[in-house]
Amino acid sequence: MKKFTQLAVPYIVWSVLMLLLPMLIVFFYSITDSGNGITIFSLTFKHYIKFFTDKDFLIVLWRSLKIAFKTTVACILLGYPIAYFIAGNSDKVRNTLVLVITIPTWINMLVRTYAWIGILTEGGLVSMVLHALGFKDTELLYTETAVLIGMVYNFLPFMILQINTSLCKMDRSLLEASNDLGADNVQTFMRITFPLSLPGVVSGISLVFLPAVSSFFIPKLLGGGQYFLIGNVIENQFITVGEWNFGSAISVIMAVLMMLSMYLVRYIEARNSQVAD
Amino acid sequence: MKKFVGAVIAVSVLVSAFALTGCGGGAKTEDKPYAGQTLHIYNWGEYTGENTISDFENLTGATIVMDEFDSNEQMYIKVANGDSYDILVPSDYMIERLIQEELIQPLDKSKLNCLDLLADGVKNLPFDPDNTYSVPYFWGTVGIVYDKNKVDIADLEKEGFGIFADEKYKGDIYLYDSERDSFMMALKQLGYSMNTDKEDELNAAYEFLLNIVNTMNAEIVTDEIIDNMAQGRKALGLIYSGDATYVMAENEDMGYFLPESGTNLWTDAMVIPKNAENAELAHEFINFALSHDAAIDTSSYVGYTSPNKEVMAELSGEGGDFEGIDAYIPRDNNANDEVFEYNEDTRKVISELWSKVKIAASNAG
Repeated sequence: MKKFTQLAVPYIVWSVLMLLLPMLIVFFYSITDSGNGITIFSLTFKHYIKFFTDKDFLIVLWRSLKIAFKTTVACILLGYPIAYFIAGNSDKVRNTLVLVITIPTWINMLVRTYAWIGILTEGGLVSMVLHALGFKDTELLYTETAVLIGMVYNFLPFMILQINTSLCKMDRSLLEASNDLGADNVQTFMRITFPLSLPGVVSGISLVFLPAVSSFFIPKLLGGGQYFLIGNVIENQFITVGEWNFGSAISVIMAVLMMLSMYLVRYIEARNSQVAD
Repeated sequence: MKKFVGAVIAVSVLVSAFALTGCGGGAKTEDKPYAGQTLHIYNWGEYTGENTISDFENLTGATIVMDEFDSNEQMYIKVANGDSYDILVPSDYMIERLIQEELIQPLDKSKLNCLDLLADGVKNLPFDPDNTYSVPYFWGTVGIVYDKNKVDIADLEKEGFGIFADEKYKGDIYLYDSERDSFMMALKQLGYSMNTDKEDELNAAYEFLLNIVNTMNAEIVTDEIIDNMAQGRKALGLIYSGDATYVMAENEDMGYFLPESGTNLWTDAMVIPKNAENAELAHEFINFALSHDAAIDTSSYVGYTSPNKEVMAELSGEGGDFEGIDAYIPRDNNANDEVFEYNEDTRKVISELWSKVKIAASNAG
């Protein structure tokens, strides 16, 4: 047994260096400010206070949470039927379909998002189709809708794959038993399939919601220069303004918010499975 | 200053390029003065002529390696970290900084034959009063590009940059996502110096911009403005003169207006860093870049104004690529026009305020 724990040493070292240490540095930046002539830095909470007392930052945060929520809901609504369909096929077909879902993710996200600019722009594919259908005022690019489309498009595969995995792991004989006992298809789905696929949905949510809430290049490319999400604010603080301390403080706030939301989701899931038992 | 893919290809350029390669091809490689040497250039993206690099290579036998940056600050970080280049093409205020921090070397004027070719307005500018360190590459102004059919010229003349706050054009304007030039516009409109470090003046400029984004439903863009204005999607926008030149060449309904209250007279110039490995060849390139054929190629392809006065006259004159396009000729007779100075403290303040303007813009929408 001891031998096995020794094998973990490289991973622990790696985690400390690559995960823990950077996070500690970010945290350190967030509670300090450049010092005066005597000290190199001084402890302060002013970055946190600045964030929570400025209405503009809070509005941006609220918008980020809202659009991440919308993205997640859209991904579940679109992704679940697709995953359900994929899971219903034979192994061979299923593997091919999973491959088809995965292939786009081999291309860099940035490139795929750029492609949407061409599709959504005035005179692009979408506006041509909408014009043909008789819609006149069809400004799409640089709107919230464009950002939402970009996010759903980028994060949907994660949701599908997670749900698909949990659907495939499900024991088929449970469905047969349910049918034998007289349940119709809808009842079987509601009482057997859906509850058993919930773990997939939950990990899908964390794979979609978390990157969506902190995404900065999708809103930058598809939302335009005047569409800010919290990720853009952080990027802006680091890259253009050069306020690393304030940028770090916002990052810490986001990290805490995400941990809380993950905890909440897991808690609800745990309670649900207890109820189900 | 800004860049774009110039779609304009001048036939005359192609012809002269063929002529050059023609006579260059005759000589053997080893006869060329700089055969086997390499010149490292760090320049803005899409900022060289179609054939400039290959022509220079054919002429000298040297190889050019060109890296591209999209902001002065990005370039500065690399250079300050010790990356070695033979030529950089930063803007005015950044050259001032590089001189202050002793990162670039004085030019050897005995090796330069191009200084006499420069237009008067682009010589001896305040950031480098005797052209000791720098030779201009492109220059221009920042102004308002407008659709002559949608915008009343009387409004522009009366309001200047204030037209961006005129509700008559609500929802029909582009701002440019550059903290420097946005504040330049605001400060100039309020009658202050764009190099001010006074807190109350900067705050007034901030309020001016805040008012625009809160009431005007403005779109804040970067290079998209070029194509969008060429297609006439909005009535007006803040733009670099070189980009305006392109827009006006594409769409004759477009005009370029410089408010009387003054604007940013900018220059991007070639400098040689202290740690250059081949300063000799760098001088050679500077001469080449300003020589007639290369300057025509670069300027007509990119659309920005050449500092070579003959080239300027030729391209804007009869039969030239930019005939009748006033954006191509930078204004040099307005006492209110200024050149940016380097001041790190103000830069930080402006940066932070501009980021707040953008957040406010996103919350207003």
